[in-house]
Amino acid sequence: MTDQVPVTVLTGYLGAGKTTLLNRILTENHGKKYAVVINEFGELGVDNDLVVDADEEVFEMNNGCICCTVRGDLIRIVAGLMKRREKFDGIIVETTGLADPAPVAQTFFADEDVKRAAKLDSIVTVVDAKNLAARLADSREAEEQIAFADLILLNKMDLVNAEEAAEVERRIRAINPWAEIIRSTKSDAPVTSVIGRDSFNLEKILEREPDFLSGEDNHSHDTEVLSVSFKVENPIDPERFNAWITQLLAAKGQDLLRTKGILAYANDDRRFAFQAVHMLADGDYIRKWRDDEPRHSRIVFIGRDLNRPQLRRGFEACQVGAPSSNYEAELARWSPPS
Amino acid sequence: MSETAEHDFLFASRGDGRELGAYVVAVDFCRASGAAGFGLGDGSVHIGPAFTAHQAHKGAVLSLCADVTSGFLTGGDDGKLAHTGTESTVLADYGSRWVEHVAAHPEGVRAASVGRALHLLDGAGKPLKSLAHPSTVAGIAIDAKGKRVAASHYNGASLWFVGAKEDKPRLLEWKGSHAAIAFSPDGTHVVTAMQEMSLHGWRLADGQHMRMSGYPAKTHFLSFTAKGRWLATSGAESVVLWPFFGGGPMGKAPSELAGGDDVMCTAVVCHPQHEVVAAGFGDGLVLIAEIASGKVVPVAPPGKGGISALRWNANGNMLAFGTDKGFCGTVDLAKR
Repeated sequence: MTDQVPVTVLTGYLGAGKTTLLNRILTENHGKKYAVVINEFGELGVDNDLVVDADEEVFEMNNGCICCTVRGDLIRIVAGLMKRREKFDGIIVETTGLADPAPVAQTFFADEDVKRAAKLDSIVTVVDAKNLAARLADSREAEEQIAFADLILLNKMDLVNAEEAAEVERRIRAINPWAEIIRSTKSDAPVTSVIGRDSFNLEKILEREPDFLSGEDNHSHDTEVLSVSFKVENPIDPERFNAWITQLLAAKGQDLLRTKGILAYANDDRRFAFQAVHMLADGDYIRKWRDDEPRHSRIVFIGRDLNRPQLRRGFEACQVGAPSSNYEAELARWSPPS
Repeated sequence: MSETAEHDFLFASRGDGRELGAYVVAVDFCRASGAAGFGLGDGSVHIGPAFTAHQAHKGAVLSLCADVTSGFLTGGDDGKLAHTGTESTVLADYGSRWVEHVAAHPEGVRAASVGRALHLLDGAGKPLKSLAHPSTVAGIAIDAKGKRVAASHYNGASLWFVGAKEDKPRLLEWKGSHAAIAFSPDGTHVVTAMQEMSLHGWRLADGQHMRMSGYPAKTHFLSFTAKGRWLATSGAESVVLWPFFGGGPMGKAPSELAGGDDVMCTAVVCHPQHEVVAAGFGDGLVLIAEIASGKVVPVAPPGKGGISALRWNANGNMLAFGTDKGFCGTVDLAKR
C-alpha cells in the first residue's frame, strides 16, 4: 500500500488564510506536485491544471450509522486523479469555512476504491490568531475544526501581542492538546512543514505527550469539546479491545470526533495503530517495538460529553489479565439493550 | 484459470496489443470504420488497428464512447468535450469543470455530464439543452432508441425525454448515492450501481423497486444481454448475473460465472447478439463465458494490469480491452 497518495485536508474559518496558503502551495517552487481540490474556482488567482473544482456534496451512507457522511464528489475526484499519467506528491482538499471536516475525513475510511488509492495524511486547520476567540464563541464549527486538526497553522501572528498569542494557544490546547501548532504571518510557514507531514501518523501524535496533561483534569470549562487520554501497562487483548471499541464507537461515535491509539497487543512484537473519525475506524501494525521502549498502550479521545472514568475503566478492562467480569460489564455498558 | 497455459489464450493467436503507458479509461468501436478507440489517462485517444495516437485532452480522458456516426466522443478533466476521428476537435468547453461522462446515439444525440448539468448536443455539435440535477451526475445512459436519457445522482436517477418541449424529468427515487447506470435493451427497466455495493433497479411501467445486493466491492460495469434476459455485473469475485425473466430479479438468486480464482471481476460486457458475456479481472485476465452452459473461454492472460475497459464490436466478432497499467488489446473472434 506504499503507493497510496497522501491527502491533506485543509480547514479553517473564512478569512483565516487558507487561500493565501493554497496560492503559495500552487506557485512556490517547493519541488513537490500537489493536486488541489477547491470549492470555489474564482477565489484562487492561479491557472493550474492541478486545481480541481468541486462541489462539497455530502451524503449519508446507507449503513445504519447516522453520522456516517462522506463526500461523494471526492470519491469521484480521487478516482479521476488516479487515471492521470502524472503522479502527485499529494492531494490537498480544501473545505469551505463553515464545513464540518468529518465527511471529508470519513471519505478516506469509508470508500474502498479511495482507500486503495489514497490515505489521509493530515488535517490542517488554519486559525486566525486575532479572531479565534470570537469564532469559538459564535460557532460550533470553529471548535470542531480545531478538535479534528493534526496540525494547526496559527496565522496572523503579526496582529497579536505575546500575551494574546499565549491565550489563543491555551484555547487551542484546551480543545486539542495533541495537534502540532505552527505560528505564521500571512500563512508564511514553509509549505513542506504544513503539507505532507504524515501527521495522521499516530505514532508521532501520541509520542508528543503534552506535558501539561500529567494532571488528571484537562477539562477546560470554556469549551464544549474536550480530550482525554489513558495509558495502560499490561498488554491489550486484541479481541477484547476490538469488541469494546466497536461497541463504544457505535454507541458514542457522534460525540467522539477523533479517537487515536497505539496498542501493545499480547504476544505481538509490533505496535498497532488505531484511529477513528466518529464511528469509522481503521487500524494497522506500524512497526516493531524497540527494545528500549516500554510496551505501554495509549488511547486518546477528543469529543463532547466524554465520561472519563467510564472510558478509562473500559480501556483498562481490555488488558490481558483484567477480570472478565469487569470487561463484560464495560462491554455491556455500550451494547444495545437486548 | 490460473493453470491455463499462455498459448491457450486466444490473445496469443488472434490478438494485437500495445503498452501505451497510461490508465485505459474506456474503449469503444467506431460506428463507421469498426476500429477500436481507446481513451487514456494522459488525454490521448488511440485508434486501431495501428493504435494511432491523438491528443484529445490536456489532462486525462475521463470518458469515451463511439460518436454519433463515426469516430469517438470524449470528456476530459480539462473541461472539454471532444470528437476524435482523423483528428481531434473540441465540441464544447465547459471551463474549469470536469466532463465526467459521455454518451452518444446514432439518432444524433450526444450527452455530456459536467457537475450537476447534463448537456445534450445534436450530431452536428449544436447544443440542444442543458438539464439540471439536484447533485452531481455520476452516470448517464441513453436508451436503445435514442429517445430517453437517464442520469444517476444522489438519491436516485432522472429520466428525460431528449425531444421533450418542456424539460421535466421523471425522478426515480432511492436514498443513497447512485453511479453506473443502464437501461434494459427494451427500455422497460433502469438499473444503477450504488455506493453501498449494491444495485437498485426500477421497473418503469409501475415504479416497482428492485434491490440487488451482496457485492464485496462497488459495481462499475452493468451490461444487459442482447434480449435483456440477464444483467451482468462486475464487483464480485465472479461474473454476477441477475435474471430479468420469470419474475426476476425480485426474489431470485443471481447466477455466478467464472469464479474461483479469488480475483475481483472489474469489467463485464455482454455480447451484442448471443447470451455470452466477456469479463475482465483485477489481475488482467480476460475471458468470455456462455451463460447457459457456464463454459469459459480464456481470452487474455493475467499480468498486464487490472482490466479497466472492455467492449464488443457491433458484430460481436471483436473484443477490445484495456488495463489500469496502460495495456490496450484487441482480439479477433471471427470464424476462420
